[in-house]
Amino acid sequence: MDWLFEFIQSWFSELMGLVSQGSKRIFFGYMLSATLIAVVWLMWQRQLNCLAAFRWLFQGKIWWSSSSQSDYTIMLLNQPIMLLLSPILLSKLALATTLFYALNDWVSRPLWFSDIPVFWVSVIFTSCLFVVDDASRYYLHRLMHRWPVLWAFHRVHHTAESLTPFTVLRTHPMEGLLFGLRSVLVQGFLISVFVFVFADRVTLLSLLGANVFNAVLNLLGSNLRHSPVPISYGKVIEGWLISPAQHQIHHSQARQHWDKNFGAFIALWDRLGNTLEYGSNSQELTYGLLGQKPKEHQLVTLYWQPFTSSWRYFWRSKGKLISTNNKTHVTSESQ
Amino acid sequence: MNKTLLSIVVATSLTLTGQAHAGAHVEVYADFPITVKNYTGSKTHSEAYTGQIARHTLHNSVKKLVSKGASLEQTKAYFNGKETGRVIVDPVSKDEFAVLQTHVDKISTGKNLSGKAYKGLISGMPGGLTGAELLDLMLEKAAATEKGFDPLTGYDYTQLISKFTMGAVFYNQAVDNYLDEKLAADVNPNSKAYKEGKAYTGKEHIWDEAFGYFGAPAHTMKLTAAQVYGIAKQKADSFAKADYNNDGKVSLVTEMAFAHAYYAASFDKGGKTNYLHTIVQAFLDGRNLISSANGEALTDAQRSKLMSYAQVIKTQWQRLIAEAVFKYAGSVYGDIEKLEAAIEANGNAVKLYRNYAKHWGELKGFALALESGGVNLGETGVKLNRLIGYSPVLLGNTQVAALVDGEFVQSSSVSLSEYRVQMIKLQKLMIDDFEVEARNKNVTANLAQLVDSLGEAMAAEND
Ligand SMILES: [Zn+2]
Repeated sequence: MDWLFEFIQSWFSELMGLVSQGSKRIFFGYMLSATLIAVVWLMWQRQLNCLAAFRWLFQGKIWWSSSSQSDYTIMLLNQPIMLLLSPILLSKLALATTLFYALNDWVSRPLWFSDIPVFWVSVIFTSCLFVVDDASRYYLHRLMHRWPVLWAFHRVHHTAESLTPFTVLRTHPMEGLLFGLRSVLVQGFLISVFVFVFADRVTLLSLLGANVFNAVLNLLGSNLRHSPVPISYGKVIEGWLISPAQHQIHHSQARQHWDKNFGAFIALWDRLGNTLEYGSNSQELTYGLLGQKPKEHQLVTLYWQPFTSSWRYFWRSKGKLISTNNKTHVTSESQ
Repeated sequence: MNKTLLSIVVATSLTLTGQAHAGAHVEVYADFPITVKNYTGSKTHSEAYTGQIARHTLHNSVKKLVSKGASLEQTKAYFNGKETGRVIVDPVSKDEFAVLQTHVDKISTGKNLSGKAYKGLISGMPGGLTGAELLDLMLEKAAATEKGFDPLTGYDYTQLISKFTMGAVFYNQAVDNYLDEKLAADVNPNSKAYKEGKAYTGKEHIWDEAFGYFGAPAHTMKLTAAQVYGIAKQKADSFAKADYNNDGKVSLVTEMAFAHAYYAASFDKGGKTNYLHTIVQAFLDGRNLISSANGEALTDAQRSKLMSYAQVIKTQWQRLIAEAVFKYAGSVYGDIEKLEAAIEANGNAVKLYRNYAKHWGELKGFALALESGGVNLGETGVKLNRLIGYSPVLLGNTQVAALVDGEFVQSSSVSLSEYRVQMIKLQKLMIDDFEVEARNKNVTANLAQLVDSLGEAMAAEND
């Protein structure tokens, strides 16, 4: 029974880690700053007093909707599932080491970089990591929408009908695995290249135990992307950084909003990929998938059905990519 | 003082009660009972490895002499000579670290290093020399340099001679001789005294000699790796830990740390490995097993158990030498990086070149030691020698290629930068083929640090 006890213990500590570690989105510090920003925004834009702003923000019909309840269940269940799945991921260190050896085999190290001061090496490394990581997120996210085999898993995230910061964890474990693989590839590659060029002068600029860019943007309210507060940054900034309002558009049921705003932090990728849609402070959207049924929030639908529909798509399309136009927003299986 | 008194009482009572102690398990490599039948001498315990400790002091002294630019006559007196009256040059008493013995003879008489040096071929250096011949040549060359360093070849003879002596004498004697052929049933049997009139049996003595060559204090199991490291360094705050019998002086025979035991401690104190205690425990287990045979010939079962302890020692000892190769490959890598940067910036490279040569000497000395274990390293050995070469790659991209008429001859080589990359491959070879774990000066350590700083890959977060 020891293993069971240990398992439950690590499950619990993983859950605690979600709110206690700055590398996690729902870290309590980020939640706090997001709340503050939301309240101030509501008082300013909606002319609410402080108490009313709080009441509006934490209304029960959002936080305790059947959609949100399933968010919480997924959050609890995903932890042990991820714990069991993570060993099958390629090790980041193994990849970085292999690439590092390979680089040394193939190319000779450029020496002129040795003049760059350590601090600037770290700035370059940290920014590269942020930008490439974000770009790869955009690309994978876009792929998940466009390829039905993957959409079957990603749609779990999109069946959320009310958005709260916890919706960020409404993810099918298979998608978590794919995003994990993506991060291994991106980070393993960048680490090996930087250590190859700059040797031991590379460090990550970090804040709260996370990449400083991620931490700052999280402090600036990235949790509001999944929230009822449609904060828009205005067109100029929204061409560069994804605002909460823009991400809410990504979750909108309306046909004209489908497959828009795939970006996580940087909006540039959406601009380049013709998928950018600007947000508005006054937008009122309905979230979820068109025509979705209540059973979308049941555990079997959330965890098991993606496998069966993905498998069916795979056989039907022989693995081919299908463009957006041919894809129905709600899969036939769930109708 | 209580401890001393107690050990005297215990030792005496054990001797008095004769056979009763035979099964007792000893934690300190001392006070093993006398099991030789009909022993009539005055000794009260059976362990004896003073010859090996004398050789440790000879090695330490030779190293010191070469580094000070001593004449060939002086160094040979310690390396080849057996004369009486030789003063121990190192280790000597320091402030707050008094050493008991000041003369080699006080430990053991008539000992030298050359007589025990490996007679097999060493392929890691040019000329087709045996280990013993190579050491002879190095001593000669060293005497012709200023303080043991030859800037033309990049040879730091102090390091080369020291590290290779540790391999060609101590390691070779222990793993290739005592823990190998001498464990055979018909060699030095346990049923007879090692020699007529001695207080120890054949097997007891060969086991002790192997232990002596490792260089660990007898009370190692009561010390941490960091403490043993401090003892070898003769640090003032380590004195109390070294002076196990509390007589105010550190006995070089039982309380000092030398050679590979020191290196084992230096790796183990990093916390990732446990070479020192694993090896010493295996020595203790083996010695207790031999004692328990009580002067009878070892049974097949006992001998195979003993062989398994010997195997632990051999594997761990080889691995710890590989750790040293790994570490110095990393040092050489770092030295070349600094040299390249200095050359790029037109800076002064003299000091950097000296460090490079020193670390290369240590690297090469340990690599040659790996070749001296009496086992054919096969492809690993070939790779090892090709990656390191016969000398460091010099600033003009040349490297020693041959030994012609007693002179090292250079020819053009890979570039300094390519040589640096070979050090990465060398570290990888040590990981792949020797499973080194401590990995000091790991060239890829930064990769691991960065991976750690970025945290786990698995995240169920979704935008
Ligand atoms: Zn999406």
